[in-house]
Amino acid sequence: MFKFLKVLVKNILQGPATEAFPLQPAKTPDRFRGRVTLNPDLCVGCGICSHVCSGDAIRIIPNEEKTGYHYTVWYNSCCLCGSCTYYCPTKAITMTNNWHNSHKQDDKFKMAEHHFIPYLKCDGCGAPIRLLPPHLATRIYAHSPVDIEKIIRLCPSCRQIATAERQGELNESNPE
Amino acid sequence: METKQHETKSFSLPLGPIHVALEEPMYFKLELEGERVKHVDITSGHVHRGMELLATKRNFFQNVVLTERVCSLCSNSHPLTYCLAVENLAGIQVSPKAQALRVLAEEIKRTASHLFNVAILAHIIGYKSLFMHVMEVREIMQDVKETVYGNRMDLAANCIGGVKYSVNLELIEFIEKSLVRTEKHIKEIIDIYATDKMILRRTTNVGRISAEDVIKYGLVGPVARGSNVRIDTRKTAPYLIYDQLDFDMITETGCDVHSRAMVRLRETLESIKIIKQIIRNIPEGELNTLLPHIPAGEAMARSEAPRGELFYYVRTDGTDMPLRLKWRVPSYMNWDALEVMMKDCEVADVSLIVNSIDPCVSCTER
Ligand code: SF4
Ligand code: SF4
Repeated sequence: MFKFLKVLVKNILQGPATEAFPLQPAKTPDRFRGRVTLNPDLCVGCGICSHVCSGDAIRIIPNEEKTGYHYTVWYNSCCLCGSCTYYCPTKAITMTNNWHNSHKQDDKFKMAEHHFIPYLKCDGCGAPIRLLPPHLATRIYAHSPVDIEKIIRLCPSCRQIATAERQGELNESNPE
Repeated sequence: METKQHETKSFSLPLGPIHVALEEPMYFKLELEGERVKHVDITSGHVHRGMELLATKRNFFQNVVLTERVCSLCSNSHPLTYCLAVENLAGIQVSPKAQALRVLAEEIKRTASHLFNVAILAHIIGYKSLFMHVMEVREIMQDVKETVYGNRMDLAANCIGGVKYSVNLELIEFIEKSLVRTEKHIKEIIDIYATDKMILRRTTNVGRISAEDVIKYGLVGPVARGSNVRIDTRKTAPYLIYDQLDFDMITETGCDVHSRAMVRLRETLESIKIIKQIIRNIPEGELNTLLPHIPAGEAMARSEAPRGELFYYVRTDGTDMPLRLKWRVPSYMNWDALEVMMKDCEVADVSLIVNSIDPCVSCTER
């Protein structure tokens, strides 16, 4: 009993162990997995995030005219697992450290992030595409002599042809 | 003066499924003679969620997250063992770095889980201030989890083929500092649990189970080790890099509630020893491997969860969903032995004995 009294006194002298939230801010680590958010500029619509999403929180639906797609992520279905962020090839979907998810019952259907993400036209064949994010293109074509600015505006097939053509030109001008 | 001899009456007493002393729903029908328990009937199934069926409706990625939600206290052991089973099936080699980081997550979880259980012991015997203190010490580990992994319970550390996280120098320093604090406190707590009169009076010679019965009932984890039965999957069938680490298997000889609590407390120090070895020496390498196609077949994997041996079986048919996913959790065997432990105990000790097997109802009934 005396051993514990010593601990007790130490704890009393140390003061409260809890944080005074909401009177003071609560400490939140940088890595905290809070509400998800999408950067629509980086999303290429590949659907990997919704494939791995265990909460079934992500919906990706093309519009009727096929000029783009609706991207919705429901905060209340999300179980904050972080799989979407981990597997997203462009890191368009990320997790913030915002954990303030409480809301009124009436607002439950507003607890979502929605984006309409338009397709571009491929510069080569006109097929609907999403821009290949430049930071990804620089990595993919790091050892390839292509013009990144041009290549990101092409669909995958046109990109293949453009890369081959550029390589061919180079081989001709520099047979070694 | 005439003293009337009290007749000891037999009656049955229902306990649960909702009861203040039980953390999770379980239903006990106790046959009593006076204050003594003569027979127990255990009814389970109150929180059955159909998770094994759910697992066959989800793809391999989604199941990592689903298995992490089987139980909150062993929430890292489930996805880890699931991943090990799938990796065995597909012949995936996990890099030494990823293996080290997997062990790191396991041991951080084990420390927090064991501290939680011994805290609840203090709570049940009415030693509230000690309960608060142990929970506060556990909070240091919770902060480590939140800072390193981003969540207090579900670490999301594992994925098929490796791990999803890494630690930088700053985080290693933070873990190290937290370990120093935890270790100091745990040593103090061990001393209190080993010598405090109130704790000793309530827990020694209560809920006894002999080593023979442990083997007969197939008990695992700290419950078995508390009766001096040396089983620990980390030692007896090493997985990941456990065979390269220096730590001891903790056993006690008291066979009672107190021994089980002491095993858990002393094991936290071993876990801290393991964490220290890992963070000082994280191998170089990849965190993850490219996923091959997961072929049709079947495989299993075992690991030592905080409550004992955890077993996963997976059968696939070449698609991206398992045909069958089955797991056997340590609490399943352990709670069957409650009838031995509770034989002839006092009614007041029932919840203490239940807590001593560290039951996890949510994973047993899933
Ligand atoms: S958020 Fe990422 S994973 Fe999801 S569709 Fe967009 S690019 Fe693909
Ligand atoms: S964090 Fe998990 S549950 Fe939430 S949207 Fe991403 S994948 Fe889905």
